[in-house]
Amino acid sequence: MALWITYEMTFYYVILLRLFTNARLLLRCAAMTETDCCVLDEEDFRRCCRLLLQRSEQLRDGWSWEVVQGSDEGYLRKTALRSVPDPQTSTCSSRPKQSKEEPDCASSLVPDSGRGELDEEDDGSCIVSEGSSVVLQYEYHILYSSSYSTPVLYFRAFTLEGRSLTLEEVWSFVHPNFRLCLQNSPLNALSQQEHPLLGQPFFYLHPCRTEEFMKLVLTAAEDKHRPMNYVLLWLSLVGPAVGLDVPLEYCIEPQPSDPE
Amino acid sequence: MASDSTEASSSTSDLKLQFAPFSSSLEAGFWHQLTQKKLSDYRLDESPKCIKGYYYNGDPDSLPTRLTLEFSAFDADGPTPARCCPAPGTLYNTNTLDAFKATDKKALLEKEAKEIWDAIQSGAALKKPSILSKFILLTFADLKKYHFYYWFCFPALCFPEGIKIIRPPVNLENVFSAVQIAALQEAYDGLCIKRRTTVAPYFIMKYTEDTVDLALLEDWETFFTDTKKVTVGVYDPCTLSQHPGWPLRNLLVLLAKQWGSKLDLVEVLCFRDRTLQGSRSIHHSLIFQIKLPELSSNSVCPKSVGWEKNPKGAMGPRMVNLSECMDPKRLAESSVDLNLKLMRWRLVPSLELEKVVNTKCLLLGAGTLGCNVARTLMGWGVRHITFVDNAKISYSNPVRQPLYEFEDCLGGGKSKATAAVDRLTKIFPGVNAQGYNMSIPMPGHPVDFSQATLSQAQKDVQQLEKLISDHDVVFLLMDTRESRWLPTVIAASKRKLVMNAALGFDTFVVMRHGLKKPMSQIISTEMDSSPTCSSASSSSSTPAGSGTHVPGSSLFSNIPGHKLGCYFCNDVVAPGDSTRDRTLDQQCTVSRPGLAMIAGALAVELMISILQHSEGGYAVASSSDDRMNEPPTSLGLVPHQIRGFLSRFDNVLPASLAFDKCTACSPIVLDHYEKEGFIFLSKVFNSSHSFLEDLTGLTLLHQETQAAEVNHTPTHTDTNKPKMDNTIY
Ligand SMILES: [Zn+2]
Repeated sequence: MALWITYEMTFYYVILLRLFTNARLLLRCAAMTETDCCVLDEEDFRRCCRLLLQRSEQLRDGWSWEVVQGSDEGYLRKTALRSVPDPQTSTCSSRPKQSKEEPDCASSLVPDSGRGELDEEDDGSCIVSEGSSVVLQYEYHILYSSSYSTPVLYFRAFTLEGRSLTLEEVWSFVHPNFRLCLQNSPLNALSQQEHPLLGQPFFYLHPCRTEEFMKLVLTAAEDKHRPMNYVLLWLSLVGPAVGLDVPLEYCIEPQPSDPE
Repeated sequence: MASDSTEASSSTSDLKLQFAPFSSSLEAGFWHQLTQKKLSDYRLDESPKCIKGYYYNGDPDSLPTRLTLEFSAFDADGPTPARCCPAPGTLYNTNTLDAFKATDKKALLEKEAKEIWDAIQSGAALKKPSILSKFILLTFADLKKYHFYYWFCFPALCFPEGIKIIRPPVNLENVFSAVQIAALQEAYDGLCIKRRTTVAPYFIMKYTEDTVDLALLEDWETFFTDTKKVTVGVYDPCTLSQHPGWPLRNLLVLLAKQWGSKLDLVEVLCFRDRTLQGSRSIHHSLIFQIKLPELSSNSVCPKSVGWEKNPKGAMGPRMVNLSECMDPKRLAESSVDLNLKLMRWRLVPSLELEKVVNTKCLLLGAGTLGCNVARTLMGWGVRHITFVDNAKISYSNPVRQPLYEFEDCLGGGKSKATAAVDRLTKIFPGVNAQGYNMSIPMPGHPVDFSQATLSQAQKDVQQLEKLISDHDVVFLLMDTRESRWLPTVIAASKRKLVMNAALGFDTFVVMRHGLKKPMSQIISTEMDSSPTCSSASSSSSTPAGSGTHVPGSSLFSNIPGHKLGCYFCNDVVAPGDSTRDRTLDQQCTVSRPGLAMIAGALAVELMISILQHSEGGYAVASSSDDRMNEPPTSLGLVPHQIRGFLSRFDNVLPASLAFDKCTACSPIVLDHYEKEGFIFLSKVFNSSHSFLEDLTGLTLLHQETQAAEVNHTPTHTDTNKPKMDNTIY
């Protein structure tokens, strides 16, 4: 632990804070690779993903392995819904350009029929729900980056209408704590890039520091002779910044064969 | 949820059951697929199509009750995501917005409601209860704008007086023991396995203190022996603690129609099954009791409701604008921008791309240099590019001028200015390119042959003045030196940044012209300090006096942008005499072929670096010496000139002062141009080069120089020519 503190790493300080709180549980990760060093090769990546998938199936966490048509390449995929508070600012900002005409446009479609034709007052059996939050659909992909020898988290987000969010909007939905820490990065760690396998624009967390900080975590774990799932451990550290939570149950072995 | 409170607090005696309606939820893939279907399959066919949505009973609290349509919605018999409940739907896609508006929504709803009602009456809904959650989707896809208009309807048959609650909803764990809950979960999973699915949308249920027994609706008659009180289960997508979701509504109508008279009390289990933090729970399922109202014994379809409200809470359609993610042109634009942003994100965080992208560039000349400059500008995301050229494309051009092809040479050749625009638009539709097929009047090339030629010249000058006014940066890329004179004068007068590129056989010069101070500042400068500009340049033209000045090296370093020279400042001969004074650019056609690409690219890159400097064109000129110093911009140096020598594969970065006798940018020339306009210009066009030389005092200088050459030592003759003297290497 002391080792981690002395290391100057402002960029990941929030993540490290989280690490301290979770360290005990994370160190118990039991499903797991036997890597001696901290470099993740593609084969390790695949093995980690398989183990993660198995556990996800047990935990109903929604991960699946997607294969790119006509190749043996693939990635982990999960979708999740996030209800984001602060509707006024977020709905406004979530329609930066087209907001002006759109609502009017759509409602002006039925100038006459709006009232008359569809005077569909229910018999009081329909509750009126207050739209006090915005719901967003997030799609997360985990890919292997051979240039960085690390996993990379790609994601994109849509409104319930099916419109993709801009980078600015995605930023606005990053938790303020993480926003600060990501912004302090010299590389503006959250950015946009074409998905290497799909060729569509995605957001991603830049992997340039991943190996560096994973080394610390893994070394600490290795000192205690704990086998670790690199991908799972990494995901539990970077995911929360963009709303992707990894249940701690992943790290608790379902069978009673816990080495503890 | 807050909306529950009113109901929870009022008395239960006359409480009516209320349902949470579906909210439509569309994934981007749905719109992509609808577009594909419309283009390649439906075309003008407006007939209803079978589609499929799904809902889920495992959401965390606070999420709305959704019906989701994704990419796979058009595969009505295809798989549904695990543990999600499929809902069949009917798509009505209209060909026009008018048809979308004019569609009789009430009739559409009644038609679908009637189908549900028929299935209820016939009992078909017992065998295939998914019809109870049938939906309608009315769409119009504007594929020119990528605007999608849509309106969902979730038809629900109504009991005229509502449904009376006997025992209000509570969480299952308040009624069931842990043993019963475990038994229920096991029985539900068993039912699913038996059906070979992962969900059971509706089921019937019997339980004791430690057992739970489930069956499908179709087994009702054998399952229930006593119908005083029955329990029905519904896969419930709602997360509200006091309300069931929409799928229950039509089920209750089904029960009332089939068994209404026999049922005293109906107990409803809203089955909710979620996994949070890896642990599965059905404890939060709702359970409540109701008294079903009698449905009139006739077979008239009850009133129905179900059109979804729009985000404003009004009865109306929705519209989503997907041009950003679907329009190929917009996609190309955003990809180009993305590529540039990556440069900023990864390598040059302080890069101000907006300054680059919004710069309007005027390219005078659409030949080898013009083509290469345009391509490099496009690479930088510059959107506004205008060409001026009067030439036609000849057979020798395409191999060196990358915007033209062989075809463009046929039939006498297309005009370069317009062909270049066409090609830019093909390369990148997001570009705002324009072409002007016009000549630029030149000194020593008379325009006074006739009234017609004179007025044409006047028109050309006006056009050029307007073009220069309307742009931010002027590129001089012509193949004659004389044609650069007029735009140099106009741009200097209008304080526009000029980028100049000229080629020799294996040498080139790329430079920015000095940017004169704004008019308002010139007056004040002249007031408080003696004319430093002219003293510096006059010292260079009269080197005899250099002893009184600081050493040459410091004189020529740190020259601010407004004191830098133009293309003509280094010349002691006015433009217009093309036989005696052959310059670099006149040999352009015999340049080494790579030279135009190098020089064209450098001209753009120099402009980009200047734009990144906080002072823009006024930035102090960097010299070769500055290569070791802290660069003035995020992209590095902002030299005055780049002179390249291909034979040595070497570039140097000279800087030179504005020459007070310059035939293009000296105060006297600008003054005459600004005061007399075309009258002055036409004198320049119509006269020999001596006119400008007389005006600027070059003639006098020549005479002095000749006198000096006679009277002084030979070493002085080298430094006499301003061309060499005020240029440092
Ligand atoms: Zn000049």
